[in-house]
Amino acid sequence: MNAEPIDRELVPDEEAVADAAAAEDRRLLERTWKYASGLRGWFAEVDHSKIGVRYIVTALIFFALGGIEALMMRVQLARPENRFLGPDLYNQVFTTHGSTMMFLFAVPMMLGLAVYLVPLMVGTRNLAFPRLNAFSYYIYLIGGLFLYTAFFLNTGPDAGWFAYVPLSGPQFSPGKRVDVWAQMITFTEISSLAVALNLITTIFKQRAPGMSLNRIPLYVWAMLVTSFMVVFAMPAVMLSSLMLALDRLIDTHFFNPAAGGDALLWQHLFWFFGHPEVYIIFIPATGIVSSILAPFTRREVFGYMPLVLSLVATGFIGFGLWVHHMFATGLPQLGASFFTAASIMIAIPTGTQIFCWIATLWGGHLRFKTPLLYVLGFLFTFVIGGLTGVMLAAVPLNLQVHDTFFVVAHFHYVLIGGAVFPLLGGLFYWYPKITGRMLSETWGKISFGLVFVGFQVTFFPQHILGLEGMPRRVYTYLPGTGWGSLNLLSTVGAFILGLGVLVYVLNGLVSLRRGEPAGNDPWGSDTLEWSVSSPPPPYNFQFLPTVSGRSPRWLWHDQHPVITGLRSDRREFLITNLMDAEPDHRQVSPGPTLWPFILSLGVGVTFIVGIFTPWGLPIGAVPVTIALIAWFWPRGDQGHKLLKEKS
Amino acid sequence: MKRPPSIDVSELPTTAFGQRDPLWWGVTGVMCIEGTMFALMAASYFYLRGGAYVWPPPGVLHPGLGITTLNLAILVLSIVPMHLAAQAAEREDLPKIRLWLAVSTVLFVAFLSIRISIMAHLTFRWDSHAYGSLVWVTVGLHTLHVLTGIVENLMFITVLTRGPVEDKLMDDLRLNSMYWYFVVACWVLFYCIFYLDPGLLGTRGV
Amino acid sequence: MNAGMNAGMNGIHWIGRHSALHAHGIEAARIGHLWWLMFWVCSTVFVLVMAATGFAITRRPDSTGLPGPVAPRSRLWMTRVVAGAVGLTIVTLFVLLFASVATGRAVASLGAPSAVVIKVTGHQWWWEVEYQDPQPSHIVRTANEIHIPAGRPVLIRLASNDVIHSFWVPSLHGKRDLIPGHDSQLWIEADRPGTYRGFCAEFCGHQHAHMGLLIIADRPDRYAAWYAAQLQTPPPPASPLEQRGRQVVEAAPCALCHTIGGTTASGSLGPDLTHLASRRTLAAATLPNTAANLGAWIVDPQAAKPGNQMPANSLAPGDLQAVVAYLESLR
Repeated sequence: MNAEPIDRELVPDEEAVADAAAAEDRRLLERTWKYASGLRGWFAEVDHSKIGVRYIVTALIFFALGGIEALMMRVQLARPENRFLGPDLYNQVFTTHGSTMMFLFAVPMMLGLAVYLVPLMVGTRNLAFPRLNAFSYYIYLIGGLFLYTAFFLNTGPDAGWFAYVPLSGPQFSPGKRVDVWAQMITFTEISSLAVALNLITTIFKQRAPGMSLNRIPLYVWAMLVTSFMVVFAMPAVMLSSLMLALDRLIDTHFFNPAAGGDALLWQHLFWFFGHPEVYIIFIPATGIVSSILAPFTRREVFGYMPLVLSLVATGFIGFGLWVHHMFATGLPQLGASFFTAASIMIAIPTGTQIFCWIATLWGGHLRFKTPLLYVLGFLFTFVIGGLTGVMLAAVPLNLQVHDTFFVVAHFHYVLIGGAVFPLLGGLFYWYPKITGRMLSETWGKISFGLVFVGFQVTFFPQHILGLEGMPRRVYTYLPGTGWGSLNLLSTVGAFILGLGVLVYVLNGLVSLRRGEPAGNDPWGSDTLEWSVSSPPPPYNFQFLPTVSGRSPRWLWHDQHPVITGLRSDRREFLITNLMDAEPDHRQVSPGPTLWPFILSLGVGVTFIVGIFTPWGLPIGAVPVTIALIAWFWPRGDQGHKLLKEKS
Repeated sequence: MKRPPSIDVSELPTTAFGQRDPLWWGVTGVMCIEGTMFALMAASYFYLRGGAYVWPPPGVLHPGLGITTLNLAILVLSIVPMHLAAQAAEREDLPKIRLWLAVSTVLFVAFLSIRISIMAHLTFRWDSHAYGSLVWVTVGLHTLHVLTGIVENLMFITVLTRGPVEDKLMDDLRLNSMYWYFVVACWVLFYCIFYLDPGLLGTRGV
Repeated sequence: MNAGMNAGMNGIHWIGRHSALHAHGIEAARIGHLWWLMFWVCSTVFVLVMAATGFAITRRPDSTGLPGPVAPRSRLWMTRVVAGAVGLTIVTLFVLLFASVATGRAVASLGAPSAVVIKVTGHQWWWEVEYQDPQPSHIVRTANEIHIPAGRPVLIRLASNDVIHSFWVPSLHGKRDLIPGHDSQLWIEADRPGTYRGFCAEFCGHQHAHMGLLIIADRPDRYAAWYAAQLQTPPPPASPLEQRGRQVVEAAPCALCHTIGGTTASGSLGPDLTHLASRRTLAAATLPNTAANLGAWIVDPQAAKPGNQMPANSLAPGDLQAVVAYLESLR
């Protein structure tokens, strides 16, 4: 294998274009894979990059809404006994903030980015199930719109994003607020589960020839582990939110202690999902960190195998931690010790990853562009969050700081520092690929500075507030507690952070028109998405690439083989085998169709009517069944061998 | 400049069975998701049972092992025609597939009818107590799966009758059978929990 | 605001201490030791990791800027350093795990046969307090204020009648949830006399923020005196104004929800008011117990604690004055 790096001009994709036959083939491909157009086309689109961008934009809008809610809370808490938000509105705002950030921003953002990137990174033309992908997006969108419609109608959920029973049960939360929450959860879970299946299948079966398991980019590994965690964690919250909805709607008694139910059952089910959820958000971020490090250090990320094993280990251990959210419920000592041990041990794979990244920095030729700055900000912030996490795993200390602002500080260090910083860095890094233009580096650095400083000023004081006795989820506090000045400081920080995000977003909007054209590969990156034009063509690769190492683009040379023989007159793509990605067979990918959208409407009707009456199920079953049958009805137009003609 | 060497894949087939087919992974994933959900339902059952003084609650009269076991037998028996349909799909023998799908659909419907009669005669409802909630909701969720199986089979029978039928459909048919085995297995689990467990271990006294 | 003005004057008297870092009880002290151990270990780890990062990003690279894997020589060195760091991490984590489990055992119980046993029941949004005693006549009922003898273990039995609450007095011990259907308990002990603030630490609805309580640790003799006083029925109204106040209370809706020993008021939805005037605060440790606050609270409880269960009462001005005078006499 020739490991000499090569000039960009020799990339096979571009060279092949010179050939007239190739140009003709390309025209054919463009016609076959053309994006659907018009309003109808918008709802019929099944292309992963189009839908991925929709995911990213939608998630960013929800991020902005969640951020505005955060600022409202910070204003309310800026001084004691403030009257900016009353308790009723405050409870809706903090519940909607948490639910938005977890279910409508973080998870869909991470999955949506993967919807965009994974097919490009593994070298295929679309996700394995393009129509399912479209369905996932619509069902997510419906869930988000539903929550915010309810919020603006003063029916926003107000029992916390964790919705503990009995507070969220029929007796203590009459009205429809909690039902809105439960159904929104169901929508976003269905969406995430569908994306997870899509990603797993795409990563397992559609990798470019030569991309054996030990050559998969670290980002793709991260998404694979994340997808498996989604598959096994999300059913828990689907089941528990179903039980909650039924307790509220048809008087079942799952959580009613007076009739044999148990309030703690909710907590077990919820945290069995809720803790892996944190890793579902964090693990994709580790993949982004690795993706950014390689081009900006000019080195392969150090320790591929330890990093992959750490991801897998995190995925497994992540399911053994849920009880550390429940130490204060009074568990038997032995059980609590087990969960302490598991919670502390997850620091081992996390530490391993951090050491590998630092080693990469040490061995690299650094270029201090904005994405790398976000990675450095991530290291600083996430290490603090990880260490306070170790503290929280200790039962006695947990009993003091659990449900206080110390925990609020901890998980914002982990989720903003650990996931949002890499995400902002990653969006900066992939923005040229998605839009074809560069972001302003100057404004990028300014926004990083504001975000980093604003974040620390907002959340560091909250550690101290928690130790000084300030509980979470309070809409106000007494003046005599002495918490006023640190809270004011935190509020000031929140506005600096908000300004930083605003600068970042404006940079993104302005650069859409004004940015420098990016070219295929502005950063000199190693992974396959940078070998195609920016933005990529609808078919991604004219000739599917082959891969000969972990940093495929740094290993390419003029005799690097490509794949030919896929038909261009229909949406063909290559299926490879699981372990070694050897070519196995060809399949035809479905084109634009409205049925996924219609199905998502049917599911939406089922759940939304289901809030008011159990008849939602039979009412919704009709459109759902029709849409499903129409979706799967074989049309015989995909060029397969016909066993029987249409009669 | 020379053109890069190429690997020609035009001779590769366009269908594949089993793990080679992406759809197999999709269906397996769905089974993982739903299997986890049913497993957590069972875990919830044992969690609530562990916290109860009397289990099942007083006043719960079971329909008897006879009828429930008979119904389970019908469900398990339906695996046979589903398996034969899958085998016929492998041979691309369309009339046989249709025949076996029809036989299994009749068995599904029989199972569902007996289930409705069993549930109608229960001495408790979903709103009687947590035990009732567990039983009714589990049965409800499982019934949704059986109904899906019936609709799918009817759809396949219609497609096989009217055409067009592509070779790709043969793979879908095999996956349809695979999913059905999963639906049956889920009920075997809950049959043991709901009917065998109280019968064998007796109720726990106060 | 009332609360604001009063806090400035005698804050510590009715606010109480509430810092987990300044322990006044043996358990909080032990947890405090664990905290400082973890704080210093974690700070050291943080400084080391940041120093390594700083070194890595300021170091002059020793090879070309061409992309690719690191040089084999560096690779070996890096592998050793990373492996060493992982090894150190594991050792450190085991030390912390050991310290955590040891502290956990130490704070689990103060098991003492002669402990004071107090039943605390959480309500939206106040605390019902009942001192347990084998003799029914020796049971004391109060609300939102718990007197304990300093230096003696106290067993708090916790229960909830509505939603989940969490009982937390940072100066004395960690928190414990009150979960309907799961009665639990918590041992506490105050080293020395003092006033300690407790919070509800589990989100419990609208007024979660204003669900405080006071723990007042007294010298044993003063505690005994307080206990004896609480067992007494309050003296009958001494003035005509107080007499009128009592009549209003018994006739008005007050009696439907509140109990006052020795009167016909025997409701159980709200706090027991038998010795209201002996308590330092109103509305679950939210307002200092002054005549002005009490009057304002009776007229419009929703102003200070929006969403709480007590309705507004439109009493005639004279009646209100009488009710306040009467309640202020309940020592």
